[in-house]
Amino acid sequence: MYSFIWRHLPGNAWVKALISLVLVAAVVYVLFQYVFPWAEPLLPFNDVTVDNQ
Amino acid sequence: MRLIVRTLSELCITVGALIVLFVVYVLFWTGVKADHVMDDQIDQLQEQWSQGTVRPATESGVTGASEAPAQAAPPTPYKSGKPFAIMYIPRLGFTWNKPVLENTATDTLKKGLGHYANTARLGQKGNFAVAGHRRTYGDPFKDFPRLREGDAVVLTDGTTWFTYRIDKGPYKTVPSDIEVIDPVPRKSGYTRPGRYLTLTTCDPEWGHSHRLIVWAHLDSTQPVEAGKPQALRR
Repeated sequence: MYSFIWRHLPGNAWVKALISLVLVAAVVYVLFQYVFPWAEPLLPFNDVTVDNQ
Repeated sequence: MRLIVRTLSELCITVGALIVLFVVYVLFWTGVKADHVMDDQIDQLQEQWSQGTVRPATESGVTGASEAPAQAAPPTPYKSGKPFAIMYIPRLGFTWNKPVLENTATDTLKKGLGHYANTARLGQKGNFAVAGHRRTYGDPFKDFPRLREGDAVVLTDGTTWFTYRIDKGPYKTVPSDIEVIDPVPRKSGYTRPGRYLTLTTCDPEWGHSHRLIVWAHLDSTQPVEAGKPQALRR
């Protein structure tokens, strides 16, 4: 999977490494900004009320 | 065959990294975000108060709980999801202060403590009930079990300081036990109507099987012009 991505990135090894870093950063950003905030309320840490409003 | 094994192991590594990232998010990042947002809320409140947009004249001086000021005009209702007070609990730390927002929706509790919308107003007859996170989002009620009888819970709405004293707790109950935020809470030991405060959070720390409750009664009020109440001085 990762070797497939690596092979399809343009440029030499350095450029590929740089692009991979940017890609990883983008994935982490999307996770922290959108995916985790959506997933976190599904876990029990939010249940602090007694009437589940 | 080799391809399958490789893909499978890569998938496992990816899932592992995802889990680690999620733990970092829950443990650390929600706290960073919440601290920022809560500071924002407090700044917003202080700005509002300095502009004097909320000034229901409280003409009386330092009074006991029984003769709290009667307000001339009916106060404006709290705006849903907006901050209206700041809470101080010296037991949880001398610098511990959190904004109190109206309603207990998930999004509201990310920004501070949440006031149960159908309970009494701050300082009024009935039960002023507030919920807060035990863990995540700045861990506001992390040290909840350390609260003891006699501890002060101080709130201000910009015009008045309200000092509540804890009478009972932490009391452990189940999530469906909504009687704990009744005007005269069940199991609290209170028998007559009065000006009460209830705090709720989850128990165990990372779980949701139970709730921890403390109850307090209004001990004294004083206008903000009179300076900080005794409980906050050191």
